[in-house]
Amino acid sequence: MSIFSEVKPAQKLEPFKGVKTIAHEEYFTSGHRTCQGCFSAQTMRLLAKSAGPRTIVLGSTGCMYVANTSYYTTPWGVPWMHTQLGSSGSAALGAAAAYKVQMRKGKIKDEPINVIAFCGDGGGADMGLGAISATMLHPAYNLLILMYDNESYANTDIQISGCSPYGANTSFSTPGKVKRIMNQRWKKNMAGLIAAGHPTVKYVGTAATSEPMQAMNQIRKALSIGGPTFLHLLAPCPKGWDYDPILSGELGELAVKTGIFPLYEMVEGKLEYIGKTKLIVNGKLKRLPVRDYLLKQGRFSHFTDDDVEYFQSKVDEMWDKWLIPGVMPVLKDLEADVVPA
Amino acid sequence: MGQLFAVEIIYRGVFQKILAKNICRGIVLSAHNEGKPGVSFGRYSDSPERNGIPAKSYAIVATDEVTLEEGMAQYSPKQVDITVVLDDTLCKGLESWAWMGLQAVNHFLKPNATLAVISNEDVPTLLKSIHVKDQPYHLGTFTGIPSFSGMWNFKDDHTDARTLGVIAKAMPQLFSFASLEKYIATKVKDGASKVQSAKLAYERFTTVNVKIGEGNTEPLRHYVQPKWEQMREGTTIVGMPQGGPFKDPTTGEAGGHRPARSKTFLKYATRTLRPVTNFETCTKCTLCWLNCPDASFDVTPDGLYDTNLEACCGCGVCEQVCPVTNCITMVSEHEFTDNASQWAAFKKDKAAYKAWITAKSAAAVPMDQRSNGYRYKGQYKEQIPAALAVANKG
Amino acid sequence: MATTAVEQAKHVEQEALITGAEAIAVACKLADVDVVTAYPIRPYDTVVQYISQLVADGEMDCEYIAAEGEHSQFEIVKHASACGARVFCGSSGVGWMYAMECLTVTPSLRIPMVAMVGNRALDDPGAFGVEHNDALSVRDLGWNLIWVDSAQECIDTALLAYRIAEDRRMMVPIAISCDGSFLTHSQALVKIPTQEQVKRFLPPYDRGELLMHPDNVISIAPQCNEDWVMEIRRSNYEVAAHSLGVISECYAEFEKVFGRKIGNPFFEEYMTEDADYVLLGMGTLSTPAKVAIRRMRAEGKKVGFVRLRWFRPFPAEALANCLRRFKAIGVVDRDYSLGSPYLSGVVATEIRTALYPGNGPKPPVLGFICGLGGREVLVPDIEKMAGYVSEAAAGKSVPLTQWIGLRE
Repeated sequence: MSIFSEVKPAQKLEPFKGVKTIAHEEYFTSGHRTCQGCFSAQTMRLLAKSAGPRTIVLGSTGCMYVANTSYYTTPWGVPWMHTQLGSSGSAALGAAAAYKVQMRKGKIKDEPINVIAFCGDGGGADMGLGAISATMLHPAYNLLILMYDNESYANTDIQISGCSPYGANTSFSTPGKVKRIMNQRWKKNMAGLIAAGHPTVKYVGTAATSEPMQAMNQIRKALSIGGPTFLHLLAPCPKGWDYDPILSGELGELAVKTGIFPLYEMVEGKLEYIGKTKLIVNGKLKRLPVRDYLLKQGRFSHFTDDDVEYFQSKVDEMWDKWLIPGVMPVLKDLEADVVPA
Repeated sequence: MGQLFAVEIIYRGVFQKILAKNICRGIVLSAHNEGKPGVSFGRYSDSPERNGIPAKSYAIVATDEVTLEEGMAQYSPKQVDITVVLDDTLCKGLESWAWMGLQAVNHFLKPNATLAVISNEDVPTLLKSIHVKDQPYHLGTFTGIPSFSGMWNFKDDHTDARTLGVIAKAMPQLFSFASLEKYIATKVKDGASKVQSAKLAYERFTTVNVKIGEGNTEPLRHYVQPKWEQMREGTTIVGMPQGGPFKDPTTGEAGGHRPARSKTFLKYATRTLRPVTNFETCTKCTLCWLNCPDASFDVTPDGLYDTNLEACCGCGVCEQVCPVTNCITMVSEHEFTDNASQWAAFKKDKAAYKAWITAKSAAAVPMDQRSNGYRYKGQYKEQIPAALAVANKG
Repeated sequence: MATTAVEQAKHVEQEALITGAEAIAVACKLADVDVVTAYPIRPYDTVVQYISQLVADGEMDCEYIAAEGEHSQFEIVKHASACGARVFCGSSGVGWMYAMECLTVTPSLRIPMVAMVGNRALDDPGAFGVEHNDALSVRDLGWNLIWVDSAQECIDTALLAYRIAEDRRMMVPIAISCDGSFLTHSQALVKIPTQEQVKRFLPPYDRGELLMHPDNVISIAPQCNEDWVMEIRRSNYEVAAHSLGVISECYAEFEKVFGRKIGNPFFEEYMTEDADYVLLGMGTLSTPAKVAIRRMRAEGKKVGFVRLRWFRPFPAEALANCLRRFKAIGVVDRDYSLGSPYLSGVVATEIRTALYPGNGPKPPVLGFICGLGGREVLVPDIEKMAGYVSEAAAGKSVPLTQWIGLRE
């Protein structure tokens, strides 16, 4: 009888080595009632495609539950189960534990199974943060928690979450006659939080749907590395952000190029910037002004120049003043720059 | 029992949400100026609305409270006096949250009721899309670029006032133009100029009689909902199977990959635009296929990417990510009457296909002139004069 | 060859001095539970402390997970169960309420979770002592609920619970309520069945086509709307409708395999054969009740006691037929239901409902609120309540709800 738990090997999912090597099979297909240009749905498609058929998906309440899986029509070609808004962490843990013990006891075939739980920014950064954090501490369960971030509680017709940007218009933060900026909070640094608070996690990353191949390979890496893993994906939302759906790809790219959403991976404790962010960090790409991104979206149409400037200053701070730019808000000791007497 | 009036507004979800709400409120408040009580509401099961997915809003008005109550006993009316369609591509049929299958835009009209459509097409053209009905009804159009905005910014191009003018003309017993004028003048921003727009629409609106059997005879998709014992236990449904290769129509050889697609929700009724592909200039970069949130591209046996037009919802992301200029062009749904495969047409006759897409692409509105949602600050203000020009031309 | 105590335990029935909580822990071990989640709150949590020791000592093989809150605690086992694992969980008082979102959905997801509720007052006002409101709060949702009154009954019921819950006609969760402190923490002599007996009694857990596994491509609990919810709920209603029959079957099977007589699974009758009037209650107040009944009988009073076990499914017909024989009934509620009809407790209100249909006798049902927050229900309390019931039996007018044992 096995007494101590051990880490079982995860599935070996090699990175796709070029667009032509991407599998054609769809494990998230058509038939979902999402908005035109929904990049949260695109996230699900990429997730399912990367993970393949030996996968189960646990979907917490949100757009990717309500819009995706209306009863009698489901786009999922792998098993999918709904879980509660704040339960992505616990659902993944329960599923991983169940497979592990049943395999150990010989009740089911012993094989690596991808356990993926997704949450929106509402379910992940707000309500479900405690459960995700607890799950990240367990070294012996292989699972991925994927947070698709459309920067609002989108399914309930758009309200602010802990990941909504400063000043954004939502139905809980409407600009009005007396108060123009109802949401004064700066976006929660989820990936940094997970990395800093859970030292045994082998993979924490941020990804953009505007770089689909890279995002898929990040998902495959997270699923292969073993233990609990976390990925924060920015998913542009034409409804909540108020833009012509055709711009979903472009806005995702601008979020990265302006430095607002840094792309990076922490792989077994080692930090690496990736994609266009890497070019910014290496000085090969100058950060675009945030104005180029903000004013393409109706949710910022009430912004004054002062608001844009403030937003820019916070993003500049993230890059110029943080010890680990874009990742960890520990400020550099600027006094050290003073020339000694 | 007094008189009951039910007005149904059919619109593109999210894009026309505020517009539909304004119209319904305007109906109730105008009728109230004549002493009639009323209620306005969006259909609950449409909420949360999704961009482009058809939705409905209602105004129920009566001559007295008791009759109003009778009207509200069924929350969404099954018999309406007027249906207004705010975007004419909706005339091809509605597939929404609240039911499964395709529903005709004239479905709930009482006999001899009025269907009013915002359209630059003429009635005979519209009747190619609008499905046949087993009752006669009246059909009329009023011109306009479909008024699309979004959640937070409203394009105030007088469409609401014009629609109310049309309703007053179609159903004077509901409210008179005088009552409408009073509502707009006292309760609406920019009241004076909006009264003018409403008046023009009111004066110009006419209808033709549509006979039984006149219209699009294509059968509507319909599903029988199972009884409780026929449903799978534990709130479960069967998942999607895998797709597979399909045949080249010219060689008969199978290859490529066509994913399995839902049989119960086909998203094409969401489209106002569809992509048209020039297969000859395609470099097979995969980006269109890769970036489609609806997995609506079939990978053809010869490695091209064919939009499956039963699944495509017309978001336009493929046009935007395609690296080749004019390879994919978003074209208005008005230009098409079926969902046939473009790649199959291309394979069968390349020259004819080339001529076809040249004609279709010429009809396309360039992206920077489209009115499909917000793109930059100040856009709607810029677009309003053009919208009014089209509308007031009549 | 010398056999270890553990080996011996497999084949020879043991006797042990253990608490109700430990008894349930032993049942989990015998049932080969796969996943257990723990979160501290008194008085249920000694059960998961015992399980922790069993796991560490190699006597039980399961995934043992300490959660960061009761909501997660229950969600973890809910999903583990959906993936085919036999699970155990538990809580008390406001901890149980913290898990409420999870508790509401487990029946419609058909999750046969077995949970122990160490009944505890809902705080504020804070107390660790027994009140039944925690477990009762899920009574409409499809959970099956049973109240036990001895450590022996704890172990027996836990084993029965797995058998009943995992029956393909059921697949709904069961909560076993154990009065805090009195049952959870006092050690009594318990006969522990053998592993071999349990193996005969409990078939493996098989979810069939509801299983969450890559080989079974289904979508579980997609978003529905008004076109579907009634039909889905009707399916759960069907489960509730045949629960009484399934439970009876399982008890009969238990008696055969374990060689022990339980009798009526749903309620226990004590000295009711020729009684004029009876008291009814759930849980450990049965002890002072039985002692009081014996004393009153010795004084010539024709009084009896009914201990209700299964609160859900409510054995309405059988219980009504039993109670119609008497001239009056007093229901001892170790719970409160503020704003209810006549402000009576939950059980009294349900008894009145059970008696209402049909043309049979409708004896007066008096409600007594007693023993809240861990206050003992004592023999003099029972005698006082019996006095009131006796008056009602004699045709006198008696208030429909009274508080017993209150300083006033």
